[in-house]
Amino acid sequence: MISFAFGKARAARLDAEGRAAAQNRTLWGDALRRLRKNRLAVVAFFWIVMMVLVALTGRMWVPIIFGDVMYPDSTIAATMSRLPPSWQHPFGTDSLGLDVMGRIAYGAQMSLSIGVIATMISTTIGLLLGSLSGYFGGLFDAVIMRITDMFMAVPYTLFTIALLAVLGPGWVNIFMAIGLLGWTSICRVVRSAFLQVKENDYVSAARALGASDFRIILRHILPNSIASVVVYSTMSIGTAILSESALSFLGLGIQPPEPSWGLMISEGQTWLASAPWLVICPGAAILTTVLAFTLLGDGLRDALDVKGN
Amino acid sequence: MAKVLPDIFIDSNLPAYEHLLELDNLKVYFDTQDGIVKAVDGVSFTLNAGQTLGVVGESGSGKSVTAMSILGLVPMPPGRFADGDIRFKGQSLLAMKDKDMQVIRGNHIAMIFQDPLSSLNPVYRVGKQVGEGLVIHRGLTATQAVAKAVELLDMVGIPNPEQRVRDYPHQFSGGMRQRAMIAMALACEPEILIADEPTTALDVTIQAQIIELMQELQKKHGTAIIMITHDLGVVADMADNILVMYAGKPVEYGTTNQIFYSPLHPYTWGLMRSIPKRTLDNDQPLTPIKGNPPSLIDLPAGCAFSERCPYVQQHCRDEEPMMRLVSDDHYSSCFFSHDGEFLLNSPIYDTTEEVAAGALDTGTLADAGALDTGTLADTGELADADDSNYQSGGRDG
Amino acid sequence: MQFVPVFIGVTLLLFAMRAIVPGDPIRMIAGEKSIPETTYRIIVERNHLDQPIYIQYGYYMGDLFHGDFGHSYQKGRDVIEIFADKFPSTASLALGAILIEIVVGISAGVISAVKKYSFIDMLLTLSTSILVSMPVFWLGMLLQSIFGIWLKNLTGGAISLPISGSGGPISAYPTFLHYILPSVTLASVSLAFTARIMRSQLLEVLSQDYIRTAYAKGLSKRDVILKHALKNAMIPVITFIGIDFGTMMSGAILTESVFSWPGVGREIYLAIIQRDWPIVMGGVVIIVIIVMTINLLIDISYALFDPRIRYGSKKAD
Repeated sequence: MISFAFGKARAARLDAEGRAAAQNRTLWGDALRRLRKNRLAVVAFFWIVMMVLVALTGRMWVPIIFGDVMYPDSTIAATMSRLPPSWQHPFGTDSLGLDVMGRIAYGAQMSLSIGVIATMISTTIGLLLGSLSGYFGGLFDAVIMRITDMFMAVPYTLFTIALLAVLGPGWVNIFMAIGLLGWTSICRVVRSAFLQVKENDYVSAARALGASDFRIILRHILPNSIASVVVYSTMSIGTAILSESALSFLGLGIQPPEPSWGLMISEGQTWLASAPWLVICPGAAILTTVLAFTLLGDGLRDALDVKGN
Repeated sequence: MAKVLPDIFIDSNLPAYEHLLELDNLKVYFDTQDGIVKAVDGVSFTLNAGQTLGVVGESGSGKSVTAMSILGLVPMPPGRFADGDIRFKGQSLLAMKDKDMQVIRGNHIAMIFQDPLSSLNPVYRVGKQVGEGLVIHRGLTATQAVAKAVELLDMVGIPNPEQRVRDYPHQFSGGMRQRAMIAMALACEPEILIADEPTTALDVTIQAQIIELMQELQKKHGTAIIMITHDLGVVADMADNILVMYAGKPVEYGTTNQIFYSPLHPYTWGLMRSIPKRTLDNDQPLTPIKGNPPSLIDLPAGCAFSERCPYVQQHCRDEEPMMRLVSDDHYSSCFFSHDGEFLLNSPIYDTTEEVAAGALDTGTLADAGALDTGTLADTGELADADDSNYQSGGRDG
Repeated sequence: MQFVPVFIGVTLLLFAMRAIVPGDPIRMIAGEKSIPETTYRIIVERNHLDQPIYIQYGYYMGDLFHGDFGHSYQKGRDVIEIFADKFPSTASLALGAILIEIVVGISAGVISAVKKYSFIDMLLTLSTSILVSMPVFWLGMLLQSIFGIWLKNLTGGAISLPISGSGGPISAYPTFLHYILPSVTLASVSLAFTARIMRSQLLEVLSQDYIRTAYAKGLSKRDVILKHALKNAMIPVITFIGIDFGTMMSGAILTESVFSWPGVGREIYLAIIQRDWPIVMGGVVIIVIIVMTINLLIDISYALFDPRIRYGSKKAD
């Protein structure tokens, strides 16, 4: 079907690219239409938008409404300590007399920034190594796959803990640790997507037309693998938020007085019997936010028709 | 072993019936997000013991859904029976309880499918799968069933059946898998065998053998066969009657002789023109049917074929044609089937190349999925038509 | 065998990490108290800490081959002994959790798939989404406060009593009861994933042609699902459960932390915090061995389920 005459070849190529672009547009347009019909995904999306707004603007308005949520006023701390939820303190106060809702709003900044940055790191590494591995195969592929095997043989939590123990706690180190260790799954996703797409006729056709490897990866294979990457990284933001909360819970993540949801749960554990809201509220914040990313990811997967779990 | 469900379809238990199988104005609709898909829209035919009916049409013409409806295998929802009836031995199958349908499936009416590899369960031995129907319907033990499976595999011409029953499907070749499927279908000696494109996925040389095997077994057991195909050539030597379907609707129904020697409907003519004719000059190009099958959701007003018909008139776009009797037992849905002059356009009378050239459009091939809006048609299908005809030619010669 | 490169890679990585960590681990453990110079020399020499790092690595691997997993800086015990103590707690917890995961996860997935798009399917799917989005340690605490505090009159438990799971097998109440909450907690995320994988696999299998064949043969829906669909759909599920079992056997740091469960995960976690490197190294090596062994068993079980692997995938045509 390929015409090898000079002018025609170029025309054919332009035509093929134009058609691929048009198909891509309709793919995303259709996906958006299907996504909008998924009520859970829409709710999840708005919940995420709200959380992002809280994270971005929280430091401006939280102190005005809830007072200082970082440093307790020692003179009144005793009377304010562990007040149950009320109109003034919807989620109650913690043992230092700080407002729990305000601290959760502060914590949103930590959780979301770490979730997003860690995912960006792991997606970039995974996308790069996965596509090279899938496209070129051979020795490079074998080495990368052994490395992912290695990462999978040691439980993820253990690895992040060890890495954080080496790096020391702190905001930057947390997303570095989560990001640097989280790339293996997305690498495998991209690699298998590449292996599938690579066999398609239009890639052979592009190669026959003399397109360079780089061009083939960029123009022909990546656009077709991107759907699974989008789905996967959406879900992985949620996973990264969970990891951050676990690390902070273990005392290796965010350090006080900076609030983090996981840290708040860890602090509240002591008062589980007498002041359960100290554990329940930050946990609910983690659950709803992660759930929103999970549901949005599910919705995207269905809308984009990506296979997998 | 397995408890066998009571069989209410033994002839002595039933009142006398006229036809073994009768479809009466069957309509199967699918409710989808985009609208109602009228997959089968008013199909009628009858089938008697030992007869063969060929059902011919492009993909998406509703022929497979028709077959699945007979066995009650159409997923409901989204599918539903909108109208009409299916009667097996005079009993309506649409009103049948699921337990009674189970008695029919594999026992009275059996089916073989297009792709024998994907139609066999990869994790069970062939013997177990071939004999499974006997366990369900005859109450055989697993061991007895496998012993019977050896006989069945032998009957369909698989060498070394004693060893082969212990093989898994992936260890069989394509032709052997289809033979195994046939053995599986015939295990309970059904009255009707429905074959849904049984040769399409096979090599050319194997296709002939499978057809021959089916004819042979039909003669031996008196099984009635419904042969579903996109290829008129496949049913030419086999069928007693032929039903041509287009976009879910029947367009022509008659005996094989009538269909081949005095076809009435322009769509049938189109199908015939797309078959390579070995009697004609090799240089004469094949004449594909112009355009693609319409979307079943958005059928054109009037005749469904009007948009692709080279002889279309205004009347065809205004009014929807019904199947009408043209001559004894020969039905057509074309308004002009009574018009002797119009029928001169038929390829049977068409000896001049100019007429063929008038309908010729090299841009498109005939067989594309009805719901597929893509412009490239399935080039494989034409190759298939090509092959099977070549091969049936070889058989005749 | 992918075992050797993975093994070497993991041990190298750990050695590299140890080398990067600032400070002298032995003095760090000693903390405020200064330890006698003779004791210090003994520890350094026993662990070859005065040698270059690659020599240390050589010694370590050599010792491993002789079954010597090293000696704790701090506890004065052999690493292998320490883990021999902790392993039964971890293994029993893992066993409990994997049973819950298999039973609940698989049945939820099957029900979901069979009743696709029904109310119960929606409910199960939403439940599994919630479970995978929940911090495990939080779930543990919720269960503790529900069954140990709120329902204490009903369950007869308080936060330190067996129903709460706290303290684990060495607590004062030697009963299976204290396994319930920790096992459920540990199983929660995994059973949700199992259910999701089971559902999608079964749906995928149910759309296959051979399922249509089975129906056409006259099998009932129940038999089609149980006899024809399930066996095919189980293969990826078994892989997941197997890998998950490996992870559970290597300790569950979060669950063990919430329930003060004396298991392998908590031991390694504490050793990391305390820079007791021989325990970390030994623990990770043991984990890698367990995980790789289980992976091998999964590969073998593949063959039992899928004849295409057992007989090679040679095609006759």
